[in-house]
Amino acid sequence: MRKLLLVCALFLAAALAPLPAAAALSVDVTQGNAQPLPIAIPDMISADPAQATMGANIASVVRADLTRSGLFRSIDPKAFVERITNINVAPTFQSWRAINAQGLVAGQVTLQPDGRLRVDFRLWDVYGESQMLGQQFFTQPENWRRVAHLVSDAIYERVTGEKGYFDTRIVFVSESGPATKRVKRLAVMDEDGANPIFLTRGDYMVLTPRFNPTAQMIAYMSYIATKPHIYLFDLETGRQEELGNFPNMTFSPRFSPDGNRVALVLENGGNSDVYVMDLRSRAVMRLTTDPAIDSAPSFSPDGRQITFESDRGGSKQIYVMNADGSNQRRISFGAGENGTPVWSPRGDLIAFTKQLGSHFTIGVMRPDGSGERMLTNAYHDEGPTWAPNGRVLMFTREASNNRGSQIWSIDVTGRNEQRVMTPGDASDPAWSPLIQ
Amino acid sequence: MSQSRSQSSTRRLLPQRPSRPTTERGSGAGIALSLLLHAALIGATYFTWSRMLDTTPESHAVPVDLITVTDQTNVQAMAPPPPPTPPKEETPQQPVEPPPPQLMDVEPAPEPPMPDIKIKPEPKKVVDTPKPPDQPPPKKQANQDFAALLNKLTAPPKTPPNAKVGPRTVQGIGAANAMTADLADALKSQIYQCWSPPVGAPNANDLVVDFDVAMNPDGSIARATSDAVSSGNSYTRAAAEAARRAIFQCQPYRLPQDRYSQWREINPLRFDPRQMMNQ
Repeated sequence: MRKLLLVCALFLAAALAPLPAAAALSVDVTQGNAQPLPIAIPDMISADPAQATMGANIASVVRADLTRSGLFRSIDPKAFVERITNINVAPTFQSWRAINAQGLVAGQVTLQPDGRLRVDFRLWDVYGESQMLGQQFFTQPENWRRVAHLVSDAIYERVTGEKGYFDTRIVFVSESGPATKRVKRLAVMDEDGANPIFLTRGDYMVLTPRFNPTAQMIAYMSYIATKPHIYLFDLETGRQEELGNFPNMTFSPRFSPDGNRVALVLENGGNSDVYVMDLRSRAVMRLTTDPAIDSAPSFSPDGRQITFESDRGGSKQIYVMNADGSNQRRISFGAGENGTPVWSPRGDLIAFTKQLGSHFTIGVMRPDGSGERMLTNAYHDEGPTWAPNGRVLMFTREASNNRGSQIWSIDVTGRNEQRVMTPGDASDPAWSPLIQ
Repeated sequence: MSQSRSQSSTRRLLPQRPSRPTTERGSGAGIALSLLLHAALIGATYFTWSRMLDTTPESHAVPVDLITVTDQTNVQAMAPPPPPTPPKEETPQQPVEPPPPQLMDVEPAPEPPMPDIKIKPEPKKVVDTPKPPDQPPPKKQANQDFAALLNKLTAPPKTPPNAKVGPRTVQGIGAANAMTADLADALKSQIYQCWSPPVGAPNANDLVVDFDVAMNPDGSIARATSDAVSSGNSYTRAAAEAARRAIFQCQPYRLPQDRYSQWREINPLRFDPRQMMNQ
C-alpha cells in the first residue's frame, strides 16, 4: 500500500514538473497577405418553390456586391459540399472549411400572408464556428434588389467594421452622340449599375450633379437659360427649380452635410468666388473675395470647414477655410496643379485631381495637406466622389483619343480599380449617401 | 463516487504489476525499489505524454466559449437558436451587440416616381460591356503583393517596434530571448500568409490586436483569446476577428517539437498592420 502511495506521488510529481518551465513567447506579426475574404453565399432557400428564383436572385446580387468591393471573394456555388436546408441549424463547419470558406451566408425567403417578402439570413464565421450576424427584412417583392443590397451592407459592416455602401445610388451625366453635338443628360442608377433612369431629356447640357444628404434632391449646373445656372431636381416630385436668381453664371454646387446650405461658385466679370446659400432663407454669403478663380467648394463632414481650389498662388491648388470664409490656407504643395477637392465623409482625407502636364490622376491627402497619395495612373482621370463610408471613390475616366468617358471606381487603398457599368458613355458621377 | 473512482484507478494499475512478483523474489529490497522506481518513471512519462495529448479534445472546447457569446446575443435576433451551442454560461460582456430583434422594415421603398422622364435602360449595352477594357490594376496589385512578400522576407528581423521589446524582456528568462527569436520568426512566416490585415480604417491604431494563444504539441491551436474580439470599436473587433481567422486557418504550425515548452504559450501574439498601411 505504501508503495502504491509512493507511485502515486511520483506520478503526481512527474505530471507537474514540466509546467513551471514554460514561459510565454511573444510574437509581433507586422506583415500580412491582403486577400479578399472567401465567402460562401448559397442561393437563399425557400419552403415555397415559387420563391426559389427570388432566393437565387437575391443571393446572386449579394455575391456580386461583395465581390465588387474587392474585400470578399464569393466562392463558386458549384464547389459547395453541404446544401443548406434549414437556416436555423448551425451548418457543418467542416464541410465549408473544406472549400476554404471563411464566411457563410445562409438565407431564406418567405412570402408572408400579407404579400410581403421576408428575408432572413445568418452570417457564420466558419473558422470561429460562431454566428456573426442574424437579421431579417420585410419588403414588397418588387424591392428585392434593395433587400439584397441591405443584406450585403450588413455583411460588409459586420466583417470590415465599417458601414457598407451597396444600398446607394449614383447620379451622373450620361453622354451620347458625336463629339461635336454631344447630348448630356442627367441620370441616376443603383450603385451596381441596375435601374438606370434618365432625369432630363438632353435638350440642354447638364454638368456636376450632386446629391443632398437625403439622396432625394440633386443640385446640378445646366445651360437651360443663356447662362449656366445651378438647378435643384427633386427626385420625389420630379420638379426642377433654379437655385437663386443670379444675373451671372453659377456653378459647382455642393450640399452641406446637414443639407441646409449649398456651397456654390458665382462668376462676376471673369472673377469667380465661393459663396454659400442658406436653402431656407435663400440668403447668400460670400466666402472668398480675392481676384483669382476660386472654385469647387466641398464641406467637411462636420460642416465647419470647406475645401476648394484656387489659382491665387499662380497655379491651381487646394485650399481649406472655415465655413464662414475665415482662415483660408493652402494645403496642396505637391507637384503639378491640384483641383476638385472633395472631403471624405469619414473626414480623414480629401480626394482631388492632380494635373501633371497633360496627365490627370486621382489622389488623396489628409486635410492638413500631408500624406499625399496618388491612387490612379491613367491618361485622364478626374472628378472624384466618395462612397458614403469614405472607403471607395468613383471618378470620370476619359480615353486618350476622345473615345468618350466612363465611370470607374477604386478603393482608397489604391486597389480594386474597376469600371462602373453605365448605359453608354458617362461622366461626373456623384455618390449618394446611404438611402434612408 | 470517489471510492469507485479510486477502485477503478487501482484496477487500472494492476496490469502493470506482473513484474512485481519477480522483483520481490529477486535479490533484495534495494533492487525491488529501484525497479519499482524505474517502472514508476516510465509510467509517469507515459502519463504526462498521454495527458498532453489529451489536452487536444479538451482545449477544443475553449473556442466554443467565444462562439457562445456571439451566438447567444445574435440568436435573439432570430427565432430558434442553433442547437450545437450547449454552454451558455457567459451572458454579459457584450454590450455592443446588435439589439435583439434586428427587425428592419424595408418600406415599399421611396422609389421616386419620375414624371415625364424617359426611362431608357438600354440594358443590352450594359451587358455588352461587362468587362472593363484594360485592367492595369492587377499588375499593380501583383506588384504590391510581391512587395509585401519581399518585405516579409527581409523585414521580420527588424520588425519588433518599440512596443514589442517590453514584454519580451520581462517574460524572457535570461538567454531564452535570443533562443526564442527564431521561434517567433518561424511562427510569423507561417501565419502571415493567412492574415489579411484590415487595411483602410481611418485610425490605424484601432487595428492593433493582441491574442493570448495556447498551442498543442502538434502545432494546433488549443486556445486563442483576445479582449479585442468583443471590442466596442467595430474596426477593432473586425481586426480581431480577422486575426483570429488567421490563427485558426494557418494551423497546425510547424515548430520544433523538442522546444514545445518554449512555444506552448504565446502571449502576446500581436497583429499590427500599421507598417503595411503606410506603404
